[in-house]
Amino acid sequence: MRLAEAPRPPKARRVWLGLASVVALVAAYTLLSNAYRVVDPSLLPDPIRGVLRPQILPPTQRIFDAFVQLVGAGTLPPAGTYVHTGDHIGGLVEQRVTLQGSLLVSTYRVLIGLAVGGSLGILAGLLMGWSRAVDEYVHPIYILFRSVPPLALITYVMLWLGHGTAHVLLPIIYAVFTVVVIPTYHGVRDVADVYVKAARALGAGGGLLLSRVVLPAASPFVLAGLRYALIIAWMTTVGVEMLMADDGIGYLLVGGGMWSSRLEVAGDPAVIVVGIVALALVGYAMDAGVRVAGDRLTQWVKR
Amino acid sequence: MNGLWRRRLWRALLSVGALAVLYGIASEIGSALLPRRIWMVMHYLEDVELLPPYRSLLEEAVFLIQSGILPRSVLVSTARVFEGLVFGAAVGVPLGLSMARAARLECLLDPWVTFFRFTPALALLPLYALWFGFGELSKILLIATAVAVVTLLGAYQGARDVPRVYLEAARSLGASKGLILRKIVWPAALPQIFASLRIALGLAWVTVVVAELIKATMPSLGYLLALAGAYPRVPTIAVGIVTIGLLVLACDTVALGLYAVATRWMKRSPARA
Amino acid sequence: MPDPRRRRLEIRDVVHVYEGKMATRALDGVSLDVFENEFLAIVGPVGSGKTTLVRIVAGFLTPSSGTVRWDGAPVTGPSPERGYVFQEEAIFPWMTVRDNLEFGLVAQGIGAPEREKIVAEMITLTGLQGYERAYPKELSGGMSKMVEVARVLATDPAILLLDEPFGLLDAQTRSKMQDQLSRLWEEKRKTVILVTHDVEEAIYLADRVVVFSPRPGRVQAEVVVDLPRPRSLETRFSPAFLELKRSIWKEIGRA
Repeated sequence: MRLAEAPRPPKARRVWLGLASVVALVAAYTLLSNAYRVVDPSLLPDPIRGVLRPQILPPTQRIFDAFVQLVGAGTLPPAGTYVHTGDHIGGLVEQRVTLQGSLLVSTYRVLIGLAVGGSLGILAGLLMGWSRAVDEYVHPIYILFRSVPPLALITYVMLWLGHGTAHVLLPIIYAVFTVVVIPTYHGVRDVADVYVKAARALGAGGGLLLSRVVLPAASPFVLAGLRYALIIAWMTTVGVEMLMADDGIGYLLVGGGMWSSRLEVAGDPAVIVVGIVALALVGYAMDAGVRVAGDRLTQWVKR
Repeated sequence: MNGLWRRRLWRALLSVGALAVLYGIASEIGSALLPRRIWMVMHYLEDVELLPPYRSLLEEAVFLIQSGILPRSVLVSTARVFEGLVFGAAVGVPLGLSMARAARLECLLDPWVTFFRFTPALALLPLYALWFGFGELSKILLIATAVAVVTLLGAYQGARDVPRVYLEAARSLGASKGLILRKIVWPAALPQIFASLRIALGLAWVTVVVAELIKATMPSLGYLLALAGAYPRVPTIAVGIVTIGLLVLACDTVALGLYAVATRWMKRSPARA
Repeated sequence: MPDPRRRRLEIRDVVHVYEGKMATRALDGVSLDVFENEFLAIVGPVGSGKTTLVRIVAGFLTPSSGTVRWDGAPVTGPSPERGYVFQEEAIFPWMTVRDNLEFGLVAQGIGAPEREKIVAEMITLTGLQGYERAYPKELSGGMSKMVEVARVLATDPAILLLDEPFGLLDAQTRSKMQDQLSRLWEEKRKTVILVTHDVEEAIYLADRVVVFSPRPGRVQAEVVVDLPRPRSLETRFSPAFLELKRSIWKEIGRA
């Protein structure tokens, strides 16, 4: 009888199993999505027939095809004036929207959001965690602000800033900011305390204390918060792009065009799947990057 | 510790009050100085109150409540949030716990969990809208997906973090696997599960607001915002935002309370009071 | 002359190697017998494999080679028959003292009225009256450990395995705990294996002390403790006690 806490199988085996399940699902999906070609749809009961259509379950080849089209759109000669149609992928290709281009734009937004929002958040968390007085005055205001989903503010922000780049970045920065404050605050307040006392007793003051004691002590928490902030930043970016932007992966997913006409675009699931998978891969890569860099910076932590 | 709490309360009231007063001043100045016509891409928007003074806000709030628009929107959006939360947690928590105990299951599901983890729930909206239509189901499923991922990770981590000693002690006392799950793993993982629920709640609200902004029908809070944004009527936007904020705060406070109850047996950490 | 007492535990040529980056040979052919109602203490330096052995006896570990037989049958896993008290804190913090004590009974499917009786008995035995509804966080280290011992005793195990149970307590509490354990044993006369690095504790509590060599662990010596029972503080200062201490330390020094 094994204990509940059974040892995990060796790494190689884990990777194989994971890979196997992905391959298995892709294979099963390919079979399912192509079933309509082989089986006469009129033989199937109604709900199943509705599901096995290429409009709902895009065949695997179609997904590949969409992928190729979207990546290659940039190599086409420059476009003429764009007339909006209801065709998802056609419209995108017309506008020369490429997958990599969209991802690049979105990544750029996320990075700015992290850089600006993260710095501000760390600063705020530092101040709040460091000074009891600042904490008690500012914390309630912070709680009020963080309760509002940043994307809810977007219509209001647009009125002030117009339809430029700032109105897209602001919600992202704001979202990252609200998420980063708390872990920083906890790291500075709860963890650094003992070390601060010890350092003070050794005669350290101000700047030295901050840079060599407080920040390093709080860094594991901050880094964990940054990983979460990454997820939130992507969520906000995609949301903003779906609603209000002219480019980016969110824009690609909803088919582009003016906002009012976005509702009319019949989503092409192949495009959506390509977009989502690409998005997940980029997100995973960025998270891995933050995690590795973070682990390096906090090598000293007992794991 | 009454003095401490009183001081905190006082300071909180002071700063929030100061903010409120500041806004009042700014809005009064604003109504005199700020432009009322705003250029928005293709046309002018007329009669825009960029910083609506308190009386406009109050008027608007009263109107929205009395006409039933606000209460109905609140009900609809809140219902979606909770339905999504319940479905999501009902899937995520058991899966997370199972994955922690069955190594093979964990390996099989791991790539999918990772995939969903890095896919912002909103990115799935077009897909869900296509598959499940533009109605309730797609929104609730969207929220449920986001909640499931978060709670799965929380439950998984919580179960894996159960110190080995407790599991061994239980086995040594003759406990069956079922008893261990119920009386050892579950209570020990509960704090982390509740912590993840709190995060999931915040995520659920964000998701519902955006989902409603993009594709929605009245009555719902997101649509209220969208409509108000299209006109635009800033007081309406403001009331909408404040309402959402209050709802999120209320939910978060409840979640925090649940967390405190679930961890009342924990030793207080030696951090500052 | 063959021992007239019933042999309950038979350990034969147990070897255990921990796999890892470097294979560590924790036990190098240990053979030991433990008899009915005997209080056996195992002493030895850190790393001598004492904990490894007692975990094998409990059933948490399978030895690399060798056999362990309990009442003639091989040990295959943990069981309430072989009660185990851990060195670390193993009291369930989310349960009250009462719930902790009756956990083993619940696991065995014992009905509520019977459980109440046994729990009450345990409370009295350990002197924890008034703390039935307390959470572990309200207990001192010593009381907490006592609850763990009582929790195991509640299931009426045939043998009690204690792995440095008082190692994390301060000297005074440890002394008190030793007295309590001694009293408990006087009352219940269970078969006990106590692992400790504290030689005095071993002599004070045991009938027989086995000395382990440093890694890889082997039975180096056996010393019989025939001090009169019941033992008290006075016993610790008796010349016989001192003599035993001397000979055991000599054994340890010889390794």
